[in-house]
Amino acid sequence: MNGRRMLTTGLRYAALLLLAVLFVSPILLMVVGSLKPEARVLVEAGSLKAFVPGEWDLRNYRDVFARVAFGRYLFNSLFITGMVVLAGMVVNSLAGYAFARLAWRGRKVLFVLVLAILILPLEAIAVPLFYQVTLFGWRDTYLVQIAPFVANAFSIYLFYTFFLGLPRELEEAARLDGAGVLRTFLTIIVPNSKPVFATVAILGFLMQWGVFLWPLMVTGGEAVRPLPLAIATFYTLPPLQWGDIFAFGVMMVLPILLVFIFFQRWFIRGVVATGIKG
Amino acid sequence: MRILLISLAFVFLAACDRSEQPKPEAGTVQLSVWAHAGQASERRTIERQVQAFNQQQDAIQISMTFIPERSYNAQVQAAAIAGALPDLLEFDVPYLYNYAWQGHLLPLETLLPHSLQQDLLPSIIKQGTYQGHLYGVGTFDSGLALYARRSLLQKVNARIPLHPKQAWSVQEFEQLLDRLAVEDDDGAVLDLKLNYPDEWFSYAFSPVLQSAGGDLIDRSDYQTASGVLNGAASVTAMQHVQGWLTTGRVDPNVDDAAFVTGRVALSWAGHWEYRRYHEAFGDDLILVPLPDFGRGSRTGQGSWVWGISRHSAVPDKAAEVIAYLLRPAQILAMTEANGAVPATHTAIAQSPLYQPGGPLHLFVVQLAEGYAVPRPRTPAYPVISASFRQAFADIRDGLPVQQALDRAAAAIDEDIRDNRGYPSIAAP
Amino acid sequence: MPQRALISAGLLFALPALAGLLIFVAVPFLLSIGLSFTNLRLGSPLAPEFVGLTQFVRLFADDAFTRALLNNLLFTIVVVPVQTLLALGLALLLNQPLRGLALFRTLFFMPVVFPLALVSVVWILIYAPGPDGMLNSFLHLITLGHWVPRDFLHDPWLALPAIMLTSIWQGAGFQMVILLAGLQSIPEELYEAARIDGAGRWQRFWFITLPQLRNTLIFVMLVTTILTFRLFEQVQIMTRGGPRHATTTIMYEAVQAAFSRQQVAKGAAITVIFFLIVLLVTLLQRRLARQERL
Repeated sequence: MNGRRMLTTGLRYAALLLLAVLFVSPILLMVVGSLKPEARVLVEAGSLKAFVPGEWDLRNYRDVFARVAFGRYLFNSLFITGMVVLAGMVVNSLAGYAFARLAWRGRKVLFVLVLAILILPLEAIAVPLFYQVTLFGWRDTYLVQIAPFVANAFSIYLFYTFFLGLPRELEEAARLDGAGVLRTFLTIIVPNSKPVFATVAILGFLMQWGVFLWPLMVTGGEAVRPLPLAIATFYTLPPLQWGDIFAFGVMMVLPILLVFIFFQRWFIRGVVATGIKG
Repeated sequence: MRILLISLAFVFLAACDRSEQPKPEAGTVQLSVWAHAGQASERRTIERQVQAFNQQQDAIQISMTFIPERSYNAQVQAAAIAGALPDLLEFDVPYLYNYAWQGHLLPLETLLPHSLQQDLLPSIIKQGTYQGHLYGVGTFDSGLALYARRSLLQKVNARIPLHPKQAWSVQEFEQLLDRLAVEDDDGAVLDLKLNYPDEWFSYAFSPVLQSAGGDLIDRSDYQTASGVLNGAASVTAMQHVQGWLTTGRVDPNVDDAAFVTGRVALSWAGHWEYRRYHEAFGDDLILVPLPDFGRGSRTGQGSWVWGISRHSAVPDKAAEVIAYLLRPAQILAMTEANGAVPATHTAIAQSPLYQPGGPLHLFVVQLAEGYAVPRPRTPAYPVISASFRQAFADIRDGLPVQQALDRAAAAIDEDIRDNRGYPSIAAP
Repeated sequence: MPQRALISAGLLFALPALAGLLIFVAVPFLLSIGLSFTNLRLGSPLAPEFVGLTQFVRLFADDAFTRALLNNLLFTIVVVPVQTLLALGLALLLNQPLRGLALFRTLFFMPVVFPLALVSVVWILIYAPGPDGMLNSFLHLITLGHWVPRDFLHDPWLALPAIMLTSIWQGAGFQMVILLAGLQSIPEELYEAARIDGAGRWQRFWFITLPQLRNTLIFVMLVTTILTFRLFEQVQIMTRGGPRHATTTIMYEAVQAAFSRQQVAKGAAITVIFFLIVLLVTLLQRRLARQERL
């Protein structure tokens, strides 16, 4: 019996190991390739040497900065994502609370509409919104990349379900003390809602960091271009140097990867929350 | 919470700060300029030119933006609607007619010095003109021909034409391909740059139609492509091309190095390849006119040009920048970098590559003597280009040529109908 | 606090979000429906006209668009089951108290964190043609030399599967994490009872695991289905819809029409069709999930 269990466990590990290697190899290719001199990157991509750095060389990283304004792109992504997430947390939590706990005219109807919007992915409105913002002369700015994403039906829904689950006694206690609605929200609800704020923040960061379609249509030059669009244009910028592209990729994914590693628990919890609620 | 709000404020302020331009001195005009992010050598040249211009004087300061080439037209169109076009912008000349029709450009003939306009090659003037007004001026024009290696041609005893009127007939060309194939490993002896994206196909292969007596569209009134694009002459011409493709004479050129690595003997390519090819083969490299499909050898022309947007507050200053870029020294700096044909007679005379006797003089001859045909000068051009590109891909795929060209002609005609024949609405 | 003040507070709280949703979601959505009945072109000096259903009629006669619909359908019916099965397999493998479980879970989830634009660019090299290409040499290895190197992204038959693989790689971790949580929430007693009844491993899986996981599975498949219809980045960056429309998708056609060719009305019509498809799929999921609760 024990032997059989050991065999199963052994097989399990073997399978996991094999799959892990397959999953990780593109990432490894990128990381290791970024450290190789250009001549070797293409040639060695087909062999196991793709995963062996040999001499560690930061030339490609320097090259990226020499060829394009990477710092600018990084700042753009950080700023845009940060603003969307921060502003989103404020705006959507207020709305979530309003739907969950406050009585006001039109609440039910509007909530149904919000739920309806939930199934609309960005793509369903990207084209008409593109037309709209272009018509209003609103191109190539930070604002055009931030404003459309601040109000988010999904975040509202997450806040809503969470606030519903909070015990009413908390608010009642505050109300008895004479606190107004806003004060109650800020001093009682928010501090007790760290999990949902974390979830919304992290999921929001993850989704916003990779946005590509929108900046493709509404930005032109480099000034406000975010990282995903930047790497795609960098790839089309002659001369084609894969070492540089990999270095760009490593630097581009590092922030989100760090956020992921440090806040892994919240990440997973957030992803699961989307699953369980569905 | 407070910390959050404070950090938000800081980040916001930081952003505002970053997007501020350095304040210009009083009296200095800020000029916004767009160029396409093309070959590294071209980009660097423009950057240097802008820098030099800015440093030499204080009246005008140029603020340069490079836009990726593939979405360039889309960016221009979107910016135009948004009222966000730069004062001065570069664009690929075939789109000039569309931009002019939409009213985005200012006529240049009153803004540029007369002497400068007279020094320009006639082909430059012609390609930049729409409905009687000059809307765009290029600092160079393009050249398209067959690059070949003298040694390989001599090995198969081929006649080597030096002037477009001596060009190989298409029959002679195909026999040559067969003779070259015998000497070749895989029988693929011709590089048609099949790996290039987008505009290449219309640029490089519509001359084949014209050489056979056909064309992309009826140029008398630009209202219909049916009967012309899918007419007998065009169909026959493209059937020859399809033959080369289906009999394996053409290398797919995925690595863009079929010619330089010696895999093929002939490369149907533009001026921009001269540097690389010359480096590889030195004096063995020769330039041969494109084959004659019946009505004479024809080749392409047209390249990126500069224009001034209608809503620029400082068109005269923008014109000064164009004049600067058209100085012989500046033209030669650019053509040094990208191997293109200089746009003025003065510059050509000073160019070792393009002077009579120079290795690329064929390009000048083609432009000056009418062998180079501009792409159709109509606002419908973007659709024409896209439709022909699609047809070429279908033809490469083995679709019967008549069918492919029928489809393309139908698409073009539909677009012209949709736009009511592109009537002149915007004031010039 | 007087009742009236409370009502205003609610509205005020919700106002910013509602305004945002109105301006940036509701209005564009309605606009796209309206635009789809016109022939609007961005920048044309001609006035736009009402053309009824012409845009839609033309779309269904358009080779590129019908191919896009087909491609999206193919993409969905391959990627959703394959990715879900893979994710389920990974989740099952990880559903044991193993040492290093957290590490494996992290590794499998990592691709999810990578922006699709980056994934697309990196995989271009993996798909490089010629024997030096990573995938080519890998296949050469495991087929013991029988594999002929292919140019995946330019091959009319292999281009779409190549993109499918990229999506599966990037998305499996996301599903895995949800399924793993679902697995871990199945009460152990159910398995105990089954084991006592003499049920074997396969029977336990079929009669306990799967039914318990049903709604999670349906949800996970729904999300992935909608994600597959949104396919855009890989097409834009890796293949540009080619070769010859072999990889074009609904969204790629929409962006091509509206942004690259300024045919906003056509792009809007495609968007409307896209929305209807998403709506249909969502309603289907709701119905499937509801059946369980009866």
